[in-house]
Amino acid sequence: MDVAKNFPLVIILILFIGAFIMPLLKNKIYNKAFSLMTIGISSVLSLITLVYVNRYGTFLYRVGHWDSPWGIELSIGILEAIMSLLLTSVAFVISWYSVYTIEKEIKDNKVCFYYTLINILVGALLGIVYTNDLFNAFVFIEVSAIAACGIIVVKDKKENIKATLKYLILSSVGSGLVLMGIAFIYSITGNLNMTFINKELSQTFMAYENSILISLGLFTIGLGIKSAMYPLHVWLPDAHSNAPSTSSAMLSALVLKAYVIFYIKILYRMFGEEIISQFPILLFMVLILGSLGMIMGSILAILQKDIKRVIAYSSVAQMGYIFFGIGLGNTIGLVSTFFHILNHAIIKSALFLTVGSMIEKTGQKKLFALKGIGKEMPITLGLFTVSALSMVGIPILPGFISKFNFAIGSIKGGKSIFVVVILISSLLNALYYFPIVINGYFGEENLEGKVFKSKEKTIKELMPILVLIIAALILGASSNKIIEMISNGVEVF
Amino acid sequence: MEKLLTNYYETASIILFGVGFVTLLLHSNLIKKIIGMNIMDTAIFLFFISKGYIYGKEAPIIRGVHKGIQGYINPVPTALMLTGIVVAVSITAFALALTIKLYEKYGTVELDEIMRIRGE
Repeated sequence: MDVAKNFPLVIILILFIGAFIMPLLKNKIYNKAFSLMTIGISSVLSLITLVYVNRYGTFLYRVGHWDSPWGIELSIGILEAIMSLLLTSVAFVISWYSVYTIEKEIKDNKVCFYYTLINILVGALLGIVYTNDLFNAFVFIEVSAIAACGIIVVKDKKENIKATLKYLILSSVGSGLVLMGIAFIYSITGNLNMTFINKELSQTFMAYENSILISLGLFTIGLGIKSAMYPLHVWLPDAHSNAPSTSSAMLSALVLKAYVIFYIKILYRMFGEEIISQFPILLFMVLILGSLGMIMGSILAILQKDIKRVIAYSSVAQMGYIFFGIGLGNTIGLVSTFFHILNHAIIKSALFLTVGSMIEKTGQKKLFALKGIGKEMPITLGLFTVSALSMVGIPILPGFISKFNFAIGSIKGGKSIFVVVILISSLLNALYYFPIVINGYFGEENLEGKVFKSKEKTIKELMPILVLIIAALILGASSNKIIEMISNGVEVF
Repeated sequence: MEKLLTNYYETASIILFGVGFVTLLLHSNLIKKIIGMNIMDTAIFLFFISKGYIYGKEAPIIRGVHKGIQGYINPVPTALMLTGIVVAVSITAFALALTIKLYEKYGTVELDEIMRIRGE
């Protein structure tokens, strides 16, 4: 069973080698099959890794058999294994959906590049999740930034190019700040391996308070830009709303999350709880920005007229929840952050895919033009409704459980006032999701002249979304077990 | 003040970083923005490399006799920044390619004009 230790590296290699073989296969069908196959294999391997880690505990993998301060090290615990399973399986479902629809949004000769970029993106994100080495993580961050820009600009419209350039420039500022943070850490510890940095820092951190505070700030802002922390989210709505809908699902569900995982690693594995507690201002700032994001993201979403922009701003609000959980600074906050990452990745990709199929069938992006869609596409809107209910936080669905845990976390952390923020944000969520559903299904004038099921997609094409919704329901129903697993993971993080 | 002068590499790189950052954020010309981005990256490279430099030591290239560990500077930051330069070059190339595309579609590289065209 020890062969499972090689799987993380094998997964990354399969994805990257697959990416470079794909442009050589001229045929679109081969490309799609090949991409699905590589991502499928990597999700199976991730599942095996999760089972292995669950049984035998965290393991370190030395890349190329170099010992750890010199070589690159991958560290795979329960959390990393869960995240890699999430990334690969959600990417698999999104690619599965894109097989049917991608030609409708991008030109035929770009299809093979799209799948190449998807493979590179998933591989780079997995690299960020696995790696225990700062500079390695930086390189993977840059690779994922270029690939993420690529899957937006692949549509080749005016707005896409503008949005991509904005995203590229802001994300290179972000990675520049991260590199500066790495420089500060390297100058005081002389190491790039997170475990070793932690060892060095725990002995000497009193002498370098300023350097540590500066580098913490640089990491927070740099990764905050990349994962759309509230005032730094300006690139997100353009990028996510103009991209092809499968790319939006990928960007919103997966790309933002990998940087958060890296941020949590930096806080708790590299600096460690002892040092973080010396600087309470940092976590408090993250908490405040998270709460601001939860409220402002929802308010901005209410003001939008374009359905994809509504969902993009909803991502800003949900990232607010995730940073809120980090900012609480206690174990339950961290556990609910991880649960919310799982929940949001599944639900948000379902939302983007349902909205993508509505836009594809009707050709309309504006909210008022999509009234009465429930008669034409009842199943699609039904799936949208379930995801929207989960976003708002209706019991049984996973959204409720993560919000409930956030509330418990803020009460236990002695910050009960922030429960109000969670409640307000949930109400605001309802304010922008429910009108879409209500105007879709009800209202005499909305339904006039619409033919029942006239624009519905075939069940074959809706299967991927159905799989996502079922996964969300399972996540909600077995939340106790999953939360217990995550708590075990957080203990050994 | 004295601290700034003794650590003049760091001071210079932070000033350069500021110049690049301001150019990146305030100019509306895309080419200037990309130049600003490059200045910022270069500042970070200078900062990082100066962390590995030891006064009076040689670059770790062995010619003839190996002088022992004491004879050379720390090679790790230099090696890392080589990777960093490659990454920065590829990002720049991508950004310039996008700028050309944008110029083809809008006929200008000024962001505020593009905003005006889009607003109409």
